[in-house]
Order: sequence, then C-alpha cells, then structure tokens
Amino acid sequence: MDFVLISQMVAAAVAATLLYTLIGIAPGTDETAVLAPVTLVLVLTGLEPIVILSFFIAAIVAKKLTDSIPVAVAGIPGGVMAAPMVEHALVLKEHGRPELAIRKMVSGSVIGTMVAIPVSFLFARILAPYSEVVGSYANQLFLFGAILLALMSKQRWIALASIVPFAILIQGLRHLYWGVGIVPQGTNVFVSFFLGITIGPVVMTLFELLNGKVREKLPRYDKKLITTDRNNQYQGIPNPFKILTTQELSLSAVTSFLGSLLFFMSPVGITILLGEFVSGFVKDPVKKSSLAISSMDGLTNAAYLSGTLIPLVALGLPLSPVAIGPANALFNAPPVFTEDYNLHHILSTYEFVWATLIGAAVAILLTYFVIVKYAEQICIFVFKKVPHEAMIGLFFGLVVLLAYMDAGWINIAGVMLIALVAGFLHRLGVNYGVQFMVLYAAPYIIQLLTR
Amino acid sequence: MIVQQKVKETKGDRPFQNIEVWTDLVNIKDLIIAVVITVTTTLAGYFIAPDQDPAPLIFGLSGAVIGFIISSIIIKPKRRFVEADKGGEQ
Repeated sequence: MDFVLISQMVAAAVAATLLYTLIGIAPGTDETAVLAPVTLVLVLTGLEPIVILSFFIAAIVAKKLTDSIPVAVAGIPGGVMAAPMVEHALVLKEHGRPELAIRKMVSGSVIGTMVAIPVSFLFARILAPYSEVVGSYANQLFLFGAILLALMSKQRWIALASIVPFAILIQGLRHLYWGVGIVPQGTNVFVSFFLGITIGPVVMTLFELLNGKVREKLPRYDKKLITTDRNNQYQGIPNPFKILTTQELSLSAVTSFLGSLLFFMSPVGITILLGEFVSGFVKDPVKKSSLAISSMDGLTNAAYLSGTLIPLVALGLPLSPVAIGPANALFNAPPVFTEDYNLHHILSTYEFVWATLIGAAVAILLTYFVIVKYAEQICIFVFKKVPHEAMIGLFFGLVVLLAYMDAGWINIAGVMLIALVAGFLHRLGVNYGVQFMVLYAAPYIIQLLTR
Repeated sequence: MIVQQKVKETKGDRPFQNIEVWTDLVNIKDLIIAVVITVTTTLAGYFIAPDQDPAPLIFGLSGAVIGFIISSIIIKPKRRFVEADKGGEQ
C-alpha cells in the first residue's frame, strides 16, 4: 500500500462519515435503502476495492453511531435497527435524561465496534476452512433462522404461520417475472423486495388513507412540541469507558461479542432478543434502560460489522442478512464484482484489516466526539430543516427507482403488493427479522414444499 | 431536549390536520406532494441519463436527492420548538 492509496482510503472514510452522520440522524432511514445504492454506485464507477471497503466501514460505523440520536431526543428511530431502542429511550426521556440516553447509546456503539472488529477477523479465520460446507447449508440456515426468530417473537404463532404464505408470495412474483420474460430465469429479484418489506407499514397506512371512513377515524394531532435545552452540554473530553458504568461496559462487550458470533441472524431480531435479556435482570427503570440501550447499540454495531466482515473475509458469499442487504454490492455488483470475483478474492487479509481499521477509526474520531458534545444542536438543525414528509418521499423515490431497475414497471406494483402484505403482517406482530429471513429462505421453502 | 405528548384533537371540529405515519407526524396533503415530487424527479433523472451503466442509477439517485431538497424547502416540518428555561440535570 502506498501513500496515495492510503490517503484515498482516508478521504473515502471522511466522505462516508460526513454523509452518513447526517443521514443517520434523519428519521426513518432504512440501512439497506441508504447504504446499498450508494455502495453500488461506487463499485460500478470502478474505484479501488480497498477504498470502497474503507468507505463502507466508515459509513456503517457513522450511521450506527448517529441513528440512535433521534431515538433519544424524539423517540423517532433514525433507522430500522434503532427501532428496538425506542421504548427504553422513552423511559430515559420521561425521567428527564435524554442526553444520558445519547451518551450511553453512542458509547455502547463504540464498544460494539471495538469488540466486533477483532472478533470478526478471528472468527473469519476459524470459519474460512469450512466455507464450502457452510455455503452448502446456507438455505437451511436461513430457514432455521426464520423459524427461530418467529418462535422468539411475541406473536409467535402468527409469525410461524406467516412463513410459508409469505415465501409463496415472494417466489410467486419471481416465477411470474421469469414467466413473462422480464427477468432472466434463475435471477432472483431481491433488493426491491427487501425495500418493499421495509416500507410495508407505511404503504399499509397510505392505502388505508384512501378509505374515507378510516381517514375520518384517524387521530389528528397538533404539531409535535419539542422542548430544547442547551444547558446539557457534556463537559470535558468524551470517553466511552467513563460514560458507561462497569456493568454497562461489560454487558455491551458481551452482547457485542455474541452479536458478532450470530452474524448470520437478523440484526434487529438479535438486538431485541439479547438486549431485552440482559436488561431483564435490572429493576430500576433508569438503570435498566441505560443498560438496555447501551448494550443494544453496541450489539447493532457489532452485528453490522461482523455481518459484513465475516462472510466477506471468510466465505466470499453473502451469507448474512447484512451481507445480502446493505453490503450486497461488495459481494455482487455485475459486471465489476460477481460471486466468483469480489472483495473476498481481490483483497488479502492484511488489506481487509487496514481498510476496516481506517474506516472505523475515521468514523469514530469524527463522529463520536461531535455527537456527545453537540447532539442537541445537530438534532435541532435536522428537525427544523427536514420534514418527515420529505424523508418518506425520498424513500418512496428510492423504492420506485430500484423496483423499476429490478424488473420494470410491473415490479413497482409487485413491490407495492409485497409491501402491503408485509405491512399487514407487521401490524399483526410479525417483525422485520422473520420477514427478511423468509425473503432469503423463500426459494428453499418452495423447493421443500414441491419436492 | 424533551418531546411533549402530542396534543390530540377535540371531538367536533377538526383544528389539527396531522396524522402519524412511521412514528412521526405528517400532513396528508404534504405527504402526497412530497411522494409525487420525489418519485417524479427520481424517475426523470433515471430516464434522461445516458444509457450506459452506472449513469442511470447515479442520475436516478441525484433525482431523488433533488426531490428531497425541493420537498424540504416547500414543506414545513410538523414540529414546534420551545426553549427550556431551567438548567439541565446532569
């Protein structure tokens, strides 16, 4: 590696950090929707692979650091992954401690990053010899994951019952596209279906608005009243080891470690599961919530990094929800990357480590200190300038664009159909984790049923 | 920063127009305007782009960002800010 390449990597990491710090704060930004398209564009423009990896790592670390902020200040998740933390952040806010929530979250996030990077490389090294065996059981792993997450969710029977019908919907559309010849046989439409599931709850609400009676009955609200307080600024140099208590530090590290090992599971599902589990032992509401959000934020960060790094370094196949979703372009972006020729085949372990360290260090150095100190001001800026309507509009624009690119006009309606069903299931209590796993397992489920 | 309980309407007349979508408040008309603007600019970007990868994708994404900026300018967020007087608790 020469100086020019290293400075390119640092520049890419800085650009990613600035971009995704702002995107992270904006409410309702789905990780896949904001990470996948940009990464794809960078890959297709032919940038050096190692520069792209630095960009991506900085982007996820920055995004994960900042998407918890709107949760703490307004109870609005900055991303899908931040959603499990809303409940606990609201507890802290009710007790008048929103700043505490921010500091605990971003500090947990830093711990998650610091744990996940070495664990991921270590685990990738252990896993590498078995890559072929694991690769051949990918389908079974995804189906097992869907059943496991369904059984662990609150509405377990509805979730379990929804697995096969939802798989039929997904495969039904894919077979239709092959049948009418709009997608080559065997090519699975993926990204737009993924976004369809993500946007499901919103599409469901929008369709309901077309019904006059439902519209009349909807509760109406005045503007959201946000009380700002500029006196809560953090004094001194932020240090995650001081901000977190010993218990929070150790449990964040433990959940991050487990989250890294469970890289093939849905990060949202694992976050809810482990976060609720560790905080279940504490009674005091403020302590319980602080513990829950710091460990959850560490975990989401760790799950994202390991979900990207382990499959990438060890297998070269997108065998985790993160790898198939936001990080997909690092594995498969024809004609630049294919499953037989991607970052896994191009970069050495040494280069992987450097790209990861540069990306993560730049993102943490730039974002962590700024957030602990100025979270309030940044949030006020974003809340004053960015209407929620524009966020939903942006997301709709991306969904329509990617739906069209995947399979033409028909797929825009197809994605709406998936979104409607997913939104309905979501309302019944089937969480994203189960739905994403079914999306991955759908071809295998149908294969099993028709054998 | 503290967000207060949103004030619900009183029965009878409907002074408030905002509904809750995806954990934040929107005005139905503004939401439709934002969706139409952004989808239009996104697809417009995609279709005017030169037919050579990755140009359509980049143009489409730029269109989405332009739509987002236009919506942000013409639509006001449904949030009201009040400055707190009391000092923060640490």
